[in-house]
Formats: sequence, structure tokens, C-alpha cells
Amino acid sequence: MPSSRPKIPELTTVAACALACALSCVFGTLAPTMVHAQTPARESAQARAQSADTNAYIRGQMFEDDNQYDAAAQAYHEALVQSPASVPAMLGLERVLAELGRSSEILPLLDSALVLAPRESAFRTAQLRTFRSLGEADSARAAFERWVRAAPHDPAPYRTYSRMLIADGRTAAADTVLHAAQSDLGSARGFAYELAQLRAADGQWEASARAWRAALTDNNFLGQAALFSLAPTPAASRDAVRSALKMPPPSIGPLQALAQLELLWGSPRNGWDALRVLRPDSAVVAAWTEFAQRAADARAWLVARDALVAANEASPRPELVARAATAALEGGDAAGAVQLARSAEAKLDSASAARTVLEAHLRALAALGQPNEGERFLSLYSQYLSPDARDRYARLVAWGWVRNGRVDRAKRLLQDAGGDDDQIDGWLALYQGDLAHARELLSPSTNAQPELLTVLALLERTKAERSPEAGRAFLTLARGDTLAAAADFGAAAGTLPEAGSLLLATSARLYAARDSLGSAMAAWKTIVDSIPHAPEAPEAELELARALRRTGKTQASIQHLEHLILTYPESAMVPQARREMELARRAVPTSADSSSQPKR
Amino acid sequence: MRSIYTIAAFLLLALSQAARAQHLLVPMDDDQSNHLKAYGLTYNALLAGGKGEWLLNYRGGSFLLPDTPALRREAGLDGVTVEPLDDAALSDIRGEMSGANMDAVPLEKAPKIAVYTAPYTAPWDDAVILALRYAGIPYTPIWDEEVEHGDLKKYDWVHLFHEDFTGQLGKFYLAYRGAPWFEEMQKTNMDMARKLGFPNIPALKKDVAEKIREYVANGGFLFAMCGATETLELAIAGYKVDIASEFADGTPMDPNADSKMDWSRSFAFRDVHLEQSPFVNAMSDIDGHQANVPGRRQPLGTFTLFAFSAKFDPVASMLVQDHRSVIPDFYGVTTSFMRNRLKPGVTVLAEEPGAPWVKYIHGDYGKGSWTFLGGHDPEDPQHAIGNPPTDLSLHPNSAGYRLILNNVLFPAAKKKPLKT
Repeated sequence: MPSSRPKIPELTTVAACALACALSCVFGTLAPTMVHAQTPARESAQARAQSADTNAYIRGQMFEDDNQYDAAAQAYHEALVQSPASVPAMLGLERVLAELGRSSEILPLLDSALVLAPRESAFRTAQLRTFRSLGEADSARAAFERWVRAAPHDPAPYRTYSRMLIADGRTAAADTVLHAAQSDLGSARGFAYELAQLRAADGQWEASARAWRAALTDNNFLGQAALFSLAPTPAASRDAVRSALKMPPPSIGPLQALAQLELLWGSPRNGWDALRVLRPDSAVVAAWTEFAQRAADARAWLVARDALVAANEASPRPELVARAATAALEGGDAAGAVQLARSAEAKLDSASAARTVLEAHLRALAALGQPNEGERFLSLYSQYLSPDARDRYARLVAWGWVRNGRVDRAKRLLQDAGGDDDQIDGWLALYQGDLAHARELLSPSTNAQPELLTVLALLERTKAERSPEAGRAFLTLARGDTLAAAADFGAAAGTLPEAGSLLLATSARLYAARDSLGSAMAAWKTIVDSIPHAPEAPEAELELARALRRTGKTQASIQHLEHLILTYPESAMVPQARREMELARRAVPTSADSSSQPKR
Repeated sequence: MRSIYTIAAFLLLALSQAARAQHLLVPMDDDQSNHLKAYGLTYNALLAGGKGEWLLNYRGGSFLLPDTPALRREAGLDGVTVEPLDDAALSDIRGEMSGANMDAVPLEKAPKIAVYTAPYTAPWDDAVILALRYAGIPYTPIWDEEVEHGDLKKYDWVHLFHEDFTGQLGKFYLAYRGAPWFEEMQKTNMDMARKLGFPNIPALKKDVAEKIREYVANGGFLFAMCGATETLELAIAGYKVDIASEFADGTPMDPNADSKMDWSRSFAFRDVHLEQSPFVNAMSDIDGHQANVPGRRQPLGTFTLFAFSAKFDPVASMLVQDHRSVIPDFYGVTTSFMRNRLKPGVTVLAEEPGAPWVKYIHGDYGKGSWTFLGGHDPEDPQHAIGNPPTDLSLHPNSAGYRLILNNVLFPAAKKKPLKT
């Protein structure tokens, strides 16, 4: 197939040579290195040769960058003819030959280079890599042994070869090499990283963790590698890994790795418990702050809060407190968030407080049902807020009034704030049962909450102008009383028959979310039995079947699933119903199955 | 007046015929939404006393079943694609088949299926059990005690999977001797050997292998996969030879075992070289891939199913019915079979072109027949010990698993007189 890339014309080649000369003058240190000793008598001739091989080397790089591997191989080869022990040219040739599938061609050149520079680790490593890529395990082993003989006290051959073996899954062979290193070099110190990888590959998690502790104590940057290696530790071996990484004296590298592992294993509190024992200094505070961010990313908000509070105590910074307040609020600790926000506000000037912590403070007060207090703070900081921010914060406080059931106060506050927001007005109208007004004001938005979708579906389904019962149900939900809201939705279903299945399905979902499965099942059953043509019927039947299976009524579950599949064959629920049926019939393994063996 | 009644009756009859066709075609080409459950639909139709036909090479090896409400219902529940056919449409199909490499094989009786599987929970899955469970095909698990008590004759079709019939427990002793599952495996096998009056596990397994050989010779259908293929052959040919390492029976393998093997007794292989070293995780040189021996392990390729003449070679045709003819290979304790170890007369059903090994083989033995498929799990090519079992609902159109299920239905076919 013809290449779509333009071929390098002669002019370009000339330019490349000129560029090469210039580069070799300016970046002399980048030019291929002659690793063998030079005698003064040969200096002049060799300078010319070096210039020639530099040109060839740079041409090789340009061809390689242009994916012209054949030409690149030829150029690198020329460079090696001039300077047989040039490391960059050799590595370049190794790369392009690999692309061409001709890796074996480099072996004679490596042999020649090694005669000139027998201890050069780049050549030795390239040789090992080549044998490995060719699948010549015996030759690789022999090359390793030659390297050891050429550099008897050098740990590099053991390290390179053992890493290669570990990557290939040849753990027993890697173990032998590391034993040999210990015996030949007198110590296994310096091989902690390889040992750690090896033990993990063998499933020896505790031994791996011990080795990682040694490696991480001196080389904190290996944390990601440790994480990758130890993350698959089975649950039964995790305590041993924890103990190994926590071994005294406490060291930041291993404990930081453990904290991140705990996040991966779904136990963020353990992670913070491991990290908090460190004596605070600047590095530890940075580690705590970073951990807090990771915990927040994992939605472990209260753990993030504790780490930020500790970081602030060690090195006070108001923005840490502001972040801690937000984390506390997200984690459901509204009272704690208020306390933290107040402490930050006390230390910050008003403008900074308004910018950093006020929002969390007002949200927390709204969540606690203290809109009076919210209004006071809003007025206190009002002069430091932009009109947009003031409007947004007024809405936060208004939600506080809604949570208290005071829709009238919420409306008044928003009117006083002067903002104009159809969505908010629509919600308030809905809460007061004014469906006609809500229908005018509410519309789909890009960040629609699930509740809004339910409201829009309701307003679409019914033409009623008013429904105090539906309004009350949504208001109870907004106030955070899920079970009472579920009951209200159930009651509203009877007053709006045209939307009855939607309101009943909402009621069932809320009951299920609060583990009130009996009430949820009753609502689903009412839909399935009494309103079988409703759009919610297939979903209700699927949920009912799932609930029946969870409560051990497998046969009843299967009957409902069969009914669903056969009655609503076009429903989007059918694939899920089939999946449920397979699980109920044990036709596919469940997550608890470790094997497919039948139980007898 | 009478003629009006006749016309009305005729119209009623015509309307009822229109509502329900006479036949259901279960297409097995890319139009099929769930190939694996289609086998279950067909099997269960036979189990319920119905008759069917296997339309070899027609649209991926389709099935023809009677159109009954029960079958329509089951197809709907399982998501199996069916196409109602009236007699005229079926006649067209038969016309098309008569002029091509296609044939219809009657399916008459659902075979009784036994799966030889140990009672302990091993940390690996069994592709056949997964396939049968997913397709909804009933089977009976049996193990050494049932085989020794002569229960094999109760079944038309017996499946073997991961058992090591040399009695060396897959040489797992080398790497897993401390693992709880291995200890349970060793104890359960040893207890069973003692219970049945055998001095050690190799002696028990060899006798079980012999019973399986007799079962096939007397007319049974055997399907084996993975390590069971190779070790069954070694146990049968080495019936009178010590082929187990010291860790298994207390004595080392007979150093002259190779020359003492009686390959006239085996199903598929001959002149095999046994692996003498207890430290090498391989049994012999039957397997081309040697997945568990680092220095010998061969990479996976793809294998190709042979196309047989449906009219002249229906058995081989049935075994290779598929909607794909090239299938990605998958490792197992025994992944493939070296060509130079196959006996003359063995039918190669699938091979990797250009490789010295084949993947899928079949042959007759006495009054029965056997089929061997190398590898462990067609949808998990690198399945390792401890990996979770494959969820076949994620692979309802698996071409590899179809090969297993072809073997399940193949004994249901009515034997026709050979045309050659």
C-alpha cells in the first residue's frame, strides 16, 4: 500500500544533514557516546567519524519520527558502523527493528558493542529484551549470566533480569535470580522493589507488603507501583498486608500507600486511621490533604472532613476548614458543617468568608431547618456578595423554609431578594398544589433532578388544575421525610386516577429506598393487578419479582417475570427480566459462586 | 343451507390455521438472538415427547420444531428467535436444501445426560455445566462411586471435563499443596478410593477410566474437554503401567512407561511420550500448547471448523454446525492435540491451519463414539484457577459454546443408514 506520508526529498535530506551538523555542534552531549577509551593520536579521525555517525544518527531519528523504519534502520546502522558502541544509535536500531519485526538482526551488533563495552548496561539490557521478545528464554538466561560475569558486583543484571521474569509471570525463575543476587552480592538490600513485585505475583501478599514497606520507606515515589501490586489482595489476606505496612516505626511512604489501598478496598476510614498516626510535618500535612481529596472523590465525605480538620490543626489554613465544612455537609453532618463554617468565618475577613465558606454554611443551616439563622447570615454578608451570588444564596435559604414546610416564607424571601426564577416558583406552586401554575413554570432543564422528571411526568399525565394531595407529597419529600412522602404519594394516587400508576410507582420507589419492602411490594402489586396497561406496569412487575426473589419466594418471582416477558414483549424491561429469570433459575452463576460445580 | 355451513367451517379452519403455522423454524445464523438457549428449546421439545429436525448447514444449522403454544411460550421467555413456517414455506426450504450441501436429520429422543464432576468445590468452572445450566438442559452429576457401581449405562451421553485420570490431581501438588481447596480435593479423592477398595487415587482413577472405555465400547457417547481428554487416554493406555509420580501413589513413575503403554486400547492417540518429571506441569506430549509449562507454552491462534458433507457425513456435520467457522482459540490444561499423536481414522473436526496441532476431534469406538475438544472455556481464553465462572448471559451467541451443545443434541439424532 502506498504511504500517505510525503517522501523526504533531496532538499530535505540536505537540510537534515545541515541540521544534524548544527545539532552536533550545539548539543555535543546528545551525540552518540563513544564508550571505549580514545587515544590522542586518533582524536582527529574520530572527530570526523563522530560527526558522520551523528549525522547518520539524526537522520535515523528523523526517519523514525516519520515512520520510515527501513530507512531509519539503515541510518542507525550507518551510525553504528562509525561508532559501534554508540548507545543512542543502538537503542534507535532496536526500536525500529522491533517495528519491522526483525529484532534478531540487532544481536550481532550488540555482541560487537559488548566486546568494546562489556559493562554497558544499556547494551546488556537491550540484549535481554531482544531475547525475550524472540521467546528465547535459554539465550536470555545465558546473556544474564554473561552480564553477571562481566560486572560481578553490579546489582543491575539481577534487577533487570528478575523484573523481566516477573513481567513474564515466571516467578519461580525470578525468585532464583533474586536468591542468587543475595548470595553473590552479600545482601538482598536494594532488591526490595523486585521482591515486592515477585511476592505479589506469587500471591504471597504479606511478604510482598513487607518488601513494599522496605522499598517505600526509602522511595516514596514507588507508591503507585505498590498500589497496583497490592490492590488485588484478597479480603482474607488484607489484615496481614495492613500489619506489614504499619510496622513500626511509622513511615509516611508505606502508610500513604496503605491509606490509598484502603480507599480502593472500600474501607476509607481504615485508611485515615492508618495515616493519622503520623507526626505532622509539612510532608504529612500534604499527605493528609491529598488523602482528603481522594476520600472526597470516593464520596467518603466524613473521612475527608476528618483529614482536613487534622491538616488544619497541624497547619491552620481557612480554606482547609471551608473544604472540611463542605465535606461534612456532603457527608450528612450538617451540624458539624455549621460549626466548622463558623470557626472559619471567625478567622477570615468577611469578603473571604463570603467567597469561601458562606455557601456551605447556608446549605448546612437549610439542611438543619434553621432558615431564620440563614437569613441573618445572608443579610450579614450581603454587601460582600455579587447580585448573582446573593440570588443563589437566597434560594438556598428558601429551601430551608421549604424544609420547614413554610412555603409562604420561602416565596416571600425570594420576592424580597428580587430574583426571578421560574423553576423555583414552579416548585413552590407545586408544593401548594397549584398544578396549573406549576405546569406553566416548570420545564425540563439540563441538570434535571429525578424529582423534576417525576413532576413533569405527572403534569403531563393529568390535566387537573389543583391537587393539594400531590403537592403535599412532593413537599413532604422535599422536607426529607421519605416514608411519610411515600405514604402521601400513595394517598395522592387515589385522587388523580389518570396519574395513579405514576404516583404509586413513586411511592413504591420511596418505600424501597427506605427498606420498607412490604409497603413497596404492596404498591407494585396494586399497579400490576389493577392498572396492567399503565406505562409503569412492566417496571412495577420487574421490581415486584426482584423483591420476591430477595425474600426467598423464587417461584412467585419466576411467575411474575414470565408474565412480564410474555405480556410486554416490547418493553425495555424484558432483557432485565430475562436476566432476573436466569438468576432465579440459577442458569447463570451468581456473584457468590466461586465455581460452576453443582451442589449435591 | 348445508353448503353455507360447509363454507363457514372451512373459513374457520383456515383462520385457525393462519393464527398458528404448522412448524417453527429456529434459525441458527446471525438472525438468532440466543443461540445457546435455542439448543435448550430444542432439547426440551424432545424431552416433552415432540419430534424435530436438525437442518444441517441450513442457516447455521437450524432446528425445525412443531408449532405449539408451549414452544412459542418457551421461546418468548428465553429470547430465542423462532420463525413460524407453513407447509408451503417448509417445502421451499426442503427444495433449497436438496440441491445444496444440506440435509435434515430427524431428532427423536432427548438423550439422558450425565456429567462426571467431583462433589467438592473446585476453584475453576466447567464449560459444559455452564452451557447446560444456561440452556436449561437437565443433567445428572455423577462421580467415581456412580461409575464404579455401573451407573454409566443409565445415560446416553457422558461428559468429562477437568478430571485427571492419571490420579495425580492435575499435578496441582506442585503449586497448591497448601491451598484449602487442594487439601479438600486430595482428601475427598483419597476417601473415595478407600471407600471403593483402592489403595490410592491413581488406582481408582484408572479403574474409572476403564469403566468409561467400556461404556463407549458398549454404545455410549462420550464428550470430553480440557485435561480429561489427555489423562483419560493415558489412564486407558497405561492401565497396567505405573504412570503416576511418587507424590500421588508413593512410587515414582515407571521409567519405561512409554514403551509399556498399550495404545491399542485408547480412543484417539498413539505413541505418546509421557512427561516423567513430577516438577513439570504437563502429562505428556499430546497437548500442543502446554499452557502450564513456561518454556513450552505456545501462543493462542484461531481454529477453523471443517465443512463436511451433510448428506454423506451427517455425524461430523452435526458436530461442527455453527454460525462461525473461524473461532478464537482458548487455553486449557490440555488445549490442543498434536497431529502426530492422532491414531489413523480419527476425524479432525477443527484445526489451526499451519499449526502442528488440532483442536476438535471425533471417532467411533466399538459400538459408541467419542468427541474431544481441547481447552477450558471458549469465552475465557486465559481462564486461571480462582477466576469467577463465565456468565453465559453475556455470551448468548458464543460460537465456541455451540460446539459443546452440538454434542448434547447429536445423540438425539436418529441414525440413518450410511450412504457410503
